[in-house]
Formats: sequence, C-alpha cells, structure tokens
Amino acid sequence: MAASKVKQDMPPPGGYGPVDYKRNLPKRGLSGYSMLAIGVGVMCFGYWRLFKWNRERRRLQIEELEARIALLPLLQAEQDRRQLRMLRENLEEEAVVMKGVPGWKVGENVFHTDRWVAPLTEELFNLRPREELLHKRFGFLWYV
Amino acid sequence: MSSISVSSAVLKGAAHHYGSQCDKANKEFMLCRWEEKDPRKCLNEGKKVNECALNFFRQIKGSCAESFTEYWTCLDYSNLAELRQCRQQQQAFDSCVQDKLGWERPNLGELSKVTKVDTSRPLPENAYHSRPRPEPNPVIEGQLQPAKHGSRLFFWSW
Repeated sequence: MAASKVKQDMPPPGGYGPVDYKRNLPKRGLSGYSMLAIGVGVMCFGYWRLFKWNRERRRLQIEELEARIALLPLLQAEQDRRQLRMLRENLEEEAVVMKGVPGWKVGENVFHTDRWVAPLTEELFNLRPREELLHKRFGFLWYV
Repeated sequence: MSSISVSSAVLKGAAHHYGSQCDKANKEFMLCRWEEKDPRKCLNEGKKVNECALNFFRQIKGSCAESFTEYWTCLDYSNLAELRQCRQQQQAFDSCVQDKLGWERPNLGELSKVTKVDTSRPLPENAYHSRPRPEPNPVIEGQLQPAKHGSRLFFWSW
C-alpha cells in the first residue's frame, strides 16, 4: 500500500506500557483476629451501655413507683369514703323503695358472715345512670 | 370533710415530699386498713390522712406556689407524667421547698422501706370473723402397728 496519510487509530508513540498479567492479590486490611476482636469489642461496649441504661431505667422506675406508694393512703381513704357514702345512699333508697314489702329487712346482709365484703361495682352504681357505671369500669382505658 | 380536688400531675409531682411529710398518718391508716380489713373501722385514721394532705397542700400553696405550678405543668405535658423529663423544674421546686419549709426530698428507696408503726390501737382478734375452728383429733392411745395382712388396697398385698 502506498504510504497514505489516512487517519487511523494507532498505538501511542513508544508503544504501550507494560501490562501486568501476573496475579496481584495484595495483603491488606486487618487480620481476621483483629476484626473479630473489633467486632466483639463493639458488642461489649454496646452491652455495657445497655446494662448501664437499664440500671438507670430501673432507678427511674423505682422513683415512679415510690410516687405511687406515697399517694396510696390518700387515694385509698378517699375511695373508702366514696364507697361508704354510696352504700349509705343505696341503703336509704332501698328503705324507701321496699317500704311495704312484707318480710324484707332493709340492708340485710346477703352473706352468712359478719366481715366486710367489698361491694361490687354494679351494686354500688345500681341506682345511677348507666353512663356512670361504664365510666367507672372502662374509663381508665379511654385515657391510656 | 372536704376532699383534695387536684389533678393527677399535681399529686405525682408532690408525691415524694408528701410521702416524707405525711408519713405517720399514712402509715397508721394503711396499718389499720390492712389489719381490720374493714373500711368502716378506719374512718378516723382516714380523716387524719385527709387533714394531713390538706395541710400539706396548703403549706405548698402558701410558699413555693409558682415553682410548684411550673413543675406540675411540665409533668402534665407528657402522657405518662414522666419524672425524668422535668428535672430542672424539680430542682427549682426542691430548692425552694428546702429553703422556705425545710423539707428534704427523700432519696431513692426510702419511701419503699418496710417500717414498723407504733399505734395505740389494739390488734383485732379474728379480723376475718371466722367461725370457731373444729377441735383437733384426739391423741391415739396405744402402740401403732403396721396392718396385719398387708395393705387392703386393691392390688397390693404387702
């Protein structure tokens, strides 16, 4: 062929550089043992923080429970008074309602014993609108 | 006998101080309630508890009302009234109460200690109103021997 000046894709002058064809797997990075150690170390650190925070949470929980302990007598006393008042009102209502019925002792104990039997919610709220009974039984759930 | 009409956040905020101040009346009422198992018998102690609580809140209201209001409004902000979210206001309220009234907040675990209560009320006998128990079996006289022809149960012959 004649030495024609056609633009062709030729290699750069001087040829290409050396091509590495040998296998090249350099040793780099940490060794297996040290990676294991780092992993275990991070886990241990995580556990340590977790246990510390759990202890702290237990302390906070104890504090909240103590607040409840401190308030219990007050709430119990108020509840007792409210219950006794409701029972008293029910007794008076009963005396009014069952006035002429023969053989009915007002406020008769339905049990064969003298001890205090805790009144049922239905018994306490018998003569009140049903809404109050529902509020007493399920009201706690509404606000949770 | 007026009842304490405050909301729950107020009570929870003041609970620790209330537990250390009104300790005596509270413990007596609880002891009475647990021993007698009858709320009708413990109305007097309950009245004392109420009076103590009213007195307590009156004292707070007299001094330290603003810091207490801040504290319980902060508590009321969260759904559960978590005590740990309001440490700053608690600190302010504590220092105010300590300066003006000399009350110290009890440390962790002091309110849940088991205490002995000194009362003048006698221990009730038979709080459960139980019937008299039957007499125990009489003591067996004579020597006890094993059965003569072995056990009389169905299979066993020894």
